[in-house]
Amino acid sequence: MIDYKPGKQAWYEDNEPREGKAVDEIWIGDVAGSDVPTCSPTETIGDIRRRIGGWDTCVVVDSKGVVLGLLRKKELDADPKATAEQVMRPGPKTFRPNVTLEELLKSMRDHEIQTNSLVTTAEGRLLGVISRADAEATLAHEQAAETRTDS
Amino acid sequence: MSTQVFSVSEVKRLLEQGAQLVDVLSEAEFEHDHLPGAINIPLKRLDATTAARLDRDRPVIVYCNDFG
Repeated sequence: MIDYKPGKQAWYEDNEPREGKAVDEIWIGDVAGSDVPTCSPTETIGDIRRRIGGWDTCVVVDSKGVVLGLLRKKELDADPKATAEQVMRPGPKTFRPNVTLEELLKSMRDHEIQTNSLVTTAEGRLLGVISRADAEATLAHEQAAETRTDS
Repeated sequence: MSTQVFSVSEVKRLLEQGAQLVDVLSEAEFEHDHLPGAINIPLKRLDATTAARLDRDRPVIVYCNDFG
């Protein structure tokens, strides 16, 4: 007998397919974008700002891609000589990829997260981000499609 | 004797070689979502009778939710 220790959570973190009722759900791992800019804790705000262009979010990660903190607009407007580590919001709230869009939006409302939410593995490795606007738009689109199917 | 695998790619390789996949979570959890091709034998009901569904000549991979 072979024991697959990391279990189905790790399977979904690799964006592998699923079976069961959940194939009809939209999980945030299905729709999160992986192109969010990242930086090391020692990079300066000035360098980060020059590098990320129009983004208003940058995720501070360690050498293994594990999330350490988050830079939003306010932190990106900080002293350009400051390092990411000095101004970041440490330990931001993160979500696993097998959370549904409905669950994500409820949590974003409960925690007053207005912009992007981070999707990570259970160990904290960054998988992607999803914006509240994208999550709301995707869900509305899906619900409209279901209504059309039902009628 | 049980061996342990830690990566998705190892599981996929074993499945390609004919391994059987067993989800030991509850029926409700299994019905909600499971890995493709898995069969469900909840841990509490795992015994010689329920395990008789398995082909003894092929490797068996068991999994639950995560490391916990």
